[in-house]
Amino acid sequence: MELRYFIIRRLLLLIPTLIGLTVIVFVLMWSLPHAFLASAFVNPKAPNRAQQLQDAYAQLGLNQGIVLGYLHYLVNTFTGHWGYMTLSNPIHYDGPVLSGISLFFPNTIQLVIFAAILSILISIPLGTYIGSRPNSAADHIGRIFSLSFYAIPVFVLGVILQVLFGKGVIGGNPLGLFPISGTFSTSAVNLLNPPSWLVSGAGGIVLSEPTHLIIFDSLIHGDFPLAANALMHVVLPVITLTLSLLAGILRFLRSSMVDASNSEYIKTARAKGVPEKTVIKLHMRRNALIPTVTVLGLLFAFLLGGVVLVEDIFGYPGIGLLALSAILSGSIYGVLGTTFLFGIILVVANLFVDVVYSILDPRIRY
Amino acid sequence: MVEEIGSAGYEKTLPRRRAKRLDNAKSTFRLFIKNRTALIGMIITIAYFVIAVIDYIDPRWLGVENLSTALLFVPGHLANSELPTPPNFSGSWWYYFGTTYSRIPILPVMLGALKYDLTYTVIIVFIGMSVGVIIGSMAGFYGGILDEVVMRITDIFFSLPFFVFALAIVYVLGFSFQNVVIALIIVWWPTYARLTRGLALETKSLKYIEAAKASGASGVKTLFSHIIPNVLSPVYVQISLDLGSVIQIFAGIFFLIGALGSSSFPLEIGYLLSAGLPYLSIGIWWPVIVPALFLLLFTVSVNLMGDGLRDVLDPKLRR
Repeated sequence: MELRYFIIRRLLLLIPTLIGLTVIVFVLMWSLPHAFLASAFVNPKAPNRAQQLQDAYAQLGLNQGIVLGYLHYLVNTFTGHWGYMTLSNPIHYDGPVLSGISLFFPNTIQLVIFAAILSILISIPLGTYIGSRPNSAADHIGRIFSLSFYAIPVFVLGVILQVLFGKGVIGGNPLGLFPISGTFSTSAVNLLNPPSWLVSGAGGIVLSEPTHLIIFDSLIHGDFPLAANALMHVVLPVITLTLSLLAGILRFLRSSMVDASNSEYIKTARAKGVPEKTVIKLHMRRNALIPTVTVLGLLFAFLLGGVVLVEDIFGYPGIGLLALSAILSGSIYGVLGTTFLFGIILVVANLFVDVVYSILDPRIRY
Repeated sequence: MVEEIGSAGYEKTLPRRRAKRLDNAKSTFRLFIKNRTALIGMIITIAYFVIAVIDYIDPRWLGVENLSTALLFVPGHLANSELPTPPNFSGSWWYYFGTTYSRIPILPVMLGALKYDLTYTVIIVFIGMSVGVIIGSMAGFYGGILDEVVMRITDIFFSLPFFVFALAIVYVLGFSFQNVVIALIIVWWPTYARLTRGLALETKSLKYIEAAKASGASGVKTLFSHIIPNVLSPVYVQISLDLGSVIQIFAGIFFLIGALGSSSFPLEIGYLLSAGLPYLSIGIWWPVIVPALFLLLFTVSVNLMGDGLRDVLDPKLRR
């Protein structure tokens, strides 16, 4: 089967997964009192509240039974009516859920992509190196490293990194270089006369235009000191996520390298005089990557859980912190919206993993 | 008549079979303790549980009468006379790790807090395992529509970010200890269902299952006395690895929602950690780092033990 047919078939397989995801989020919603669902759906400070509540009942299909309610939920979800949320802690926000999410979503994607790219870039060469030398000193060090970072809870790792490398946590620590909270220091911006592309959002959160990613926006507008400052702020969160994902990949890659090295085709390749480098890169690594890619989806699910914890520890305004704020502020549509969005991120990541899988191992396409 | 002879023969072989099984267990254990790191992992894990049991019997043996006094404070607003004091190696060994809020030595507080994590992690893993094993082995054994439905459901669960999902369930059910446990069981059983389903499929086609069927064993009997006991050893490995993952997620959830400061939450390790966070920026790191390291020691030990168990019980899965 050609790759594009495989991709089309894989996209069709998304439909049951998406139905499952929406059903689960819907069931969570529907199990709550309906009066509460209606009153939280619209802006509580709107003038004609009674009329709005009636409209909310109609729009959510609250009086029409669970099946029609689900269909209403689907329509609302895919037409962007995600409800209303009022958050007070730790993120302040008051407005529609979807526009709130769109403000914070870029920050999370930035973290996840940085962490994913870094951990893949480091783990594949490292895993190849230690996996092709089982029981050497490098292998033992690598195994201790990957086991410790695989076993360490993400929030524990984040806090330890804050203490070791955070600015001002331990007095006189020469390693304390990195700020431990936020996306940039207020001292790096002239707050009395802020540049026009820094917009003060609801509740005092400063957002940058046009991408909401302060690193890229300050580069676009030529403010290099601010870009450097913002970059320093993402170092610790990214390292925290990278280390935990890296350890997982390394652990699986190393063991599948060892498995692959015991197989017949490696002996054949060596016997017919293929150079050792080629054996390792083309024969061993390519086959060892296949089982590693299958666990990548699962590791990614762990990473998304880690995102919530890391954003909380580092006070980093992304959708993880938004989800936490929704939970702490008791905003149902904030909780449902962020849960659904995290589900979508994982679905897309799994799609990507499967496509990579089918490129590595064409047999899987049949 | 024939049946009687058959059952008498069966009775006769029973002690011998038990002895053989014991022999197997002995040799497995001997193999296991050859692996030094796995043995150390097991010893440390057992030590944690022993401390937890001691703490349940009488917390005074660990030096603190009432643990909850350690959290009677408003985070971020302690008077100078109540701020935690740093580790002090000159006095009593209780103070080697420093003190926490209200100047209570941190060591007993933390050991007391860990017991909740250990207990509830074990409860979550065992209930999740039981539900998953029964559903998964039924799906694998009976096949057909049941199998399809169960596998589609687990597929969906596997494509959910379970941490966020567990938080959402806790929100919907209400913030309490039991609800966190329920939420984690809901997100955790599919792991076991999928694992046992595959194993049950494999086992189903073996000769002794055919023999059991041919000798007239009912489906339920075959399932519970022939399939399930024979798929359990990979499940044991999964349990020992999951103790490490579930305790992380459990403590992580309380680390996040501890900010609610609900009085229904006992002093638990994630909550203890989050309570220390406001003090990091003024250089008070030990109320956070000490519990963090103790939690880390547990998760590493459990993983070492799990890796060792896997090597012994399930050589096919060896990584």
